[in-house]
Amino acid sequence: MRKLHFDPRTKLLLMIFTILSATLSPSLYYASGLVLLIMLFGFACGKPRYSLLGALTYTVFFALTILTRDFLYGTLQTMLIAFLGLVHKVYPCGLMAGIMIGSTKVSEFMTGMHRLHVPRKIVIPLAVMLRYLPVIREDWGFIKDAMQMRDVSPSLGGLLAHPGKTAECVYVPLMMSASKAADELSIASVTRGIENPEPRTCLIQIRFGAADALAACAFLLYFIAGMAVRGGWI
Amino acid sequence: MIEFRHVSFAYPGQSEDRLQDLNLTISDGECVLFCGRSGCGKTTVTRLVNGLIPHFFAGELTGDVIVDERYIAKLPMYQIAEKVGSVFQNPRTQFFNVDTDSEIAFGIENEGVPPDELRLKVDGAVKDLKLQKLQGRRIFSLSGGEKQKIAFASVYAMNPDIYLLDEPSSNLDVDAIEDLRKNLIRIKRQGKTILVAEHRLYYLKDLVDRIVYMEQGKVRGIYTPEQFLSIPAVQREKMGLRAMDLHSVKPLPKPAVQALPVLDIRAMALYYKKQPVISGINLRAARGEIIGVTGHNGTGKSTFLRALCGLHKGCTGACLWDGKGMDSKQRLKSSYMVMQDVNYQLFAESVEKECCFGIKNPDADIVTGTMKELGLYEYRNRHPNTLSGGQKQRTAVAVSMICRKEILIFDEPTSGLDFDGMLQVSRLLSRIARGGKIIFVVTHDYEFISAVCSRVVHFDSGTVQEDFAVNQKNLGKLQDFFILGQRRDDIEGAETGQKNYTEIGRKYAYEAKREESNWSSAQMGGKG
Amino acid sequence: MSNSPAANRKGLTVKDLVTIGIFSALLFITILVGGLFFAPNPVLTFYMPLGSALLGGPVFLLLIAKVPKRGPVMTAGILIGIIFFATGMHWAMDIGYIVMGIIADFAAGSRKYKSVRMNILAYMLFSIGCTGTYIMYFIDPASWASTMLRGGTEQAYIDTMNASAQNWVLAVILIGTLTVAAFSGWVGNKMLKKQFEKAGITA
Repeated sequence: MRKLHFDPRTKLLLMIFTILSATLSPSLYYASGLVLLIMLFGFACGKPRYSLLGALTYTVFFALTILTRDFLYGTLQTMLIAFLGLVHKVYPCGLMAGIMIGSTKVSEFMTGMHRLHVPRKIVIPLAVMLRYLPVIREDWGFIKDAMQMRDVSPSLGGLLAHPGKTAECVYVPLMMSASKAADELSIASVTRGIENPEPRTCLIQIRFGAADALAACAFLLYFIAGMAVRGGWI
Repeated sequence: MIEFRHVSFAYPGQSEDRLQDLNLTISDGECVLFCGRSGCGKTTVTRLVNGLIPHFFAGELTGDVIVDERYIAKLPMYQIAEKVGSVFQNPRTQFFNVDTDSEIAFGIENEGVPPDELRLKVDGAVKDLKLQKLQGRRIFSLSGGEKQKIAFASVYAMNPDIYLLDEPSSNLDVDAIEDLRKNLIRIKRQGKTILVAEHRLYYLKDLVDRIVYMEQGKVRGIYTPEQFLSIPAVQREKMGLRAMDLHSVKPLPKPAVQALPVLDIRAMALYYKKQPVISGINLRAARGEIIGVTGHNGTGKSTFLRALCGLHKGCTGACLWDGKGMDSKQRLKSSYMVMQDVNYQLFAESVEKECCFGIKNPDADIVTGTMKELGLYEYRNRHPNTLSGGQKQRTAVAVSMICRKEILIFDEPTSGLDFDGMLQVSRLLSRIARGGKIIFVVTHDYEFISAVCSRVVHFDSGTVQEDFAVNQKNLGKLQDFFILGQRRDDIEGAETGQKNYTEIGRKYAYEAKREESNWSSAQMGGKG
Repeated sequence: MSNSPAANRKGLTVKDLVTIGIFSALLFITILVGGLFFAPNPVLTFYMPLGSALLGGPVFLLLIAKVPKRGPVMTAGILIGIIFFATGMHWAMDIGYIVMGIIADFAAGSRKYKSVRMNILAYMLFSIGCTGTYIMYFIDPASWASTMLRGGTEQAYIDTMNASAQNWVLAVILIGTLTVAAFSGWVGNKMLKKQFEKAGITA
């Protein structure tokens, strides 16, 4: 299947439709239909493996729900129903989010935010945040090494055995590194003109195409259908 | 043209070494090097030109800095940015984006260049600086040197008239410094004005037109390269400067180590995710040895040292201490690594507490003694974060001594240090070695190796390629590697360099990638 | 024009924005790591906000100490809301963080971001954002489950659901989250005094 390219703004819109459909879903079968639709969208985005796996996992939850509903009784049932209720509300969104994140570059996403006229006071920290997440992972690797060499175990057990010491070992270097990064990164951005009040341009270009319209229509129609079922019109 | 007219500056609370009455004119197309000890004011000079002073760093500023007839203090930062491009020392914190293309475009995007031109300019910068291999990559998967190249390209794409580099080589290896040098030659040919504040001078030898030597905030001398090269080594060292001509630096004689080897590594092989990283390591070391570990990026030397510390798990072969086998736990107990970024290993709120940190019943005498020995006693109540880089390093060393570690590993301990700093580190290492420890030191610093290492272990092609004593006889070998960088520009070498970067980097890059794909499946468990 | 010296500038500077971005990333990680233990477990899933509130205190208080002006907490709430939205979290949690972020910012701002107690209270309010999903559940537990029921709604189920959704669970979630957040804030404040102020990394 040829991979289609969707505008990040479209993906955000689809995300909103997904949330609405999942939240207001009239029946279990409707929710499964939504997962199916998302899977198809995932195929179109060039994420067949992930989408298929996601849909299969959902099938397991689906079966579990049927089992809980028809064969369990009492507290266990109500507890599981509450939990599964949450699963059915969140799962389609999670699946959609996975496709969205997997098929969108950060720079594309940022261009999208920019085009949506999100204010700079949000866009700048958001870009920094997304860029800093992998740094935390790198930092954690170094900190873990450093802790082991000082005979402090970087694990849950270690935290429970020596809460104060372990917490210091994690927070202190993490915060020092974050602080230094904040200084240096702001220097590197002001010396490259980030404070320019003129509108910024973007290297990555995004535009709506036929695929975007098609996907948006499909999700919108599915949502309307759901509303119709809910309202008792169908 | 850049003019400094009676410029003085002090950071808030700064009493010593403030910049005093700087008068200097730099003409277009000139390449000027600012050098001097740490804290001499050379970084302040660069900040005056790129506007960080007074726009970002507050302080007392008098006098005028004028660039092309415009007063820097009166121009907003973003207008200065179009004229003056800056490259800094830490490649990790210089980028704003997660992919290389967007990062190269960052500056020109801020300028508001139309989208079609953006692409042309980015492609132009990539072509000029030969970065095709780095295009479209995640910045987190790059080595430090590659990140620095992207930072340079981002400034290059803005096409400023003035380039300003603040210790750009501090975190680079020999190859990356060579690439930096080539880039500087290119912009110099384009007639750009270049200002460099640097400790390492050798790579600028054929580039600079003038050398400004500063001391305690004042200009003490301005030299042509010829004049500078004719300064006798003894006087240069007194000035606290590194050598400009590395060929003239000869290894110092080291006391012969008489002891028998206690550490014996046999047929060690290391794996990462079941993929072999490095194999066939046979190494013996005696107490008192200082062993330099060298090799290009991605040759497995950092993995080896992490394994030696017991931090890397995928490891086969034997590691013996005094004839007895040591597993990774025992190695972790008896060894200590002083990291390149030592901030990761300082946890406590004062130097003294740091020295006792995690020790059940610390012996006060030993703690005090060690602090005194390493010149930290007067700082014992200071927070480690407020110390200088060298002092932080010594604090980490103090910890290792108090914990009675036998094997010490230093990762690039002289990055960003001036001559005095380097000398201090070498004295420190010699002293620890005399105390009967075994020291491994990863370094790209030829002057440092010459000053302190008794032996060099060279990693290449996934194994220990060479193992030789640092002496006059092996001078050629050493200089070949460190000065010429012995770049292997053949496709194979370049490719391994690209694939492997540093092992740690690879590990995290790999995990980050995996994390990315798992990111959402983790959510799918269903939660609110 | 931005040619006044850095220190005198009002509003959020680029440095402030970068700091907010970095600390929001850290805050997001603390929420994720703290909640990870609870979320996939059917018994504990409802208590996830407690776990999520546990680790963030030191980060939150240091953020306020570094940028003591209007905006950082609010922005952090919005950013975390956005990223949770993009990762497919329940919408009530996304909105929860945004709304509580704004409220928390005003709370801390009422004492000019200098009062330790107010800042800890701000963190407690902020952590409540995470409970949005569960509040939605308790508002109407029957509709929550109705999706799963065969052929629309069956009275028997609705009755069981309403009966089982004991209100004390909601109280435990809310009070528990506040308590955990207060503890985390207290630890954060201790760390701030013991470490970060001495280290010179606060504004």
